[in-house]
Amino acid sequence: MDAPTFTDLALRVISREATDDERRAVEAEMASTPARREEFEQLKRTHQLLRTAAPLTEAARATGPELPAWRVNELSTAVRQHFGPAANPKAEAGSTIWAHVLRWVFGGGGLAALTFAIVMMCFANRTVEVGLYSSDLVRGGEQSLSARDVPSARLVWFDEDTSFDQWQNQPLAWNQHAKIWVDNEHDLLYVLRRVRHGQIVMETQPLAPTDAAQREQIKQVVNSLQN
Amino acid sequence: MGTDLELLTALQRGEQDAWDEAFRRLYPAAFAAARHPLASLTPTEAEDIAIEALTLLLPKVKQVAAFDELRLLVITIASRKAISEKRRQLADKRGGGDITSLDAMQDDETIRFEPAEQLLYHLSGIDLRELGKLLDAALSALEPRQADLVRDFLVHHLPYKELAQKYRMPIGSVGVGLARSLDKIRAHLQAMPKLSKELAAYLR
Repeated sequence: MDAPTFTDLALRVISREATDDERRAVEAEMASTPARREEFEQLKRTHQLLRTAAPLTEAARATGPELPAWRVNELSTAVRQHFGPAANPKAEAGSTIWAHVLRWVFGGGGLAALTFAIVMMCFANRTVEVGLYSSDLVRGGEQSLSARDVPSARLVWFDEDTSFDQWQNQPLAWNQHAKIWVDNEHDLLYVLRRVRHGQIVMETQPLAPTDAAQREQIKQVVNSLQN
Repeated sequence: MGTDLELLTALQRGEQDAWDEAFRRLYPAAFAAARHPLASLTPTEAEDIAIEALTLLLPKVKQVAAFDELRLLVITIASRKAISEKRRQLADKRGGGDITSLDAMQDDETIRFEPAEQLLYHLSGIDLRELGKLLDAALSALEPRQADLVRDFLVHHLPYKELAQKYRMPIGSVGVGLARSLDKIRAHLQAMPKLSKELAAYLR
């Protein structure tokens, strides 16, 4: 057997692509020519090294997906637990920041910012969105959530997982107050909402057991978000 | 946040904003590493592994000298955890009385992960950077179509059949082309005898 044929067959064996005949041919070649066994072992090591390491070198260039919004809090908590609140130099530098803010306010910038904030608040549509599968509407019939149940919220219907996942992963827009969705797989109701100082938090609560109870649960959550 | 060095200094001080920025920048790499084809985890599982790997950077941040080291570190952590998770899942499947456990026992999949786990345990960020450069050099020396074929085989672990379909070539030519290209890459590896010898030792 010539060298290129052996390398080809050996690689098939190593990659689990070989037929039984090809496997036997490689075994026979290695038994009759001991140098082939060493060649086989070398090829196997190269194959393992590259198939393990090559995906990692590619990972270093990855640009997506984005960090899901609802995992940010979890990571922030881990940072606080590790470094402790005292480690945040912002707290230590509080007086300096305050002096800087005062200077800014009296310098006129504050007035402009205040005007801008008032305008933004007037125009902000503090929307609450509720994400649902279209199939739930059909399946749930009378029991399913409708726009009448939550007039102050906007219902967003999805036909497939991909678009629903994208909607869930998207951070809240500046004019959005909250979004809510049901995770039937884990029996959880997800609430992604804006709290004080623009911070966004993700909360979950156990999902009510029936369609009717879930409808009430969502209504209550929407009402609490509007108050 | 200004330069990478300023970012790293802020991370070492534990500044929340800096960590938010670092997590945002490093998540894609962590997620891609957690989706290592050997582990073949679902996107949800990979997301959990990536988040865990990011939190494991916290105790290590004072040991690194450059922000980019964190990227390489999170990649090795995430890939190692992903493969361990896969191994654990297979072990559970075998021990859990699952109907497929007989198949699993006949073809002991967990053994397949041992060399990869060993290698990932010993692979440092510096090794990974060197290997990346080596692979880039080796692949750029190939004809572009051949380089894409090899990349799909090594990086995405596509089987011969899929490669033949994707590149519209006979399945026999796939193997011949891969074998030739791997020989060329091996020649590049031999140019780095220390690294290749050290890493190969974990694959025996």
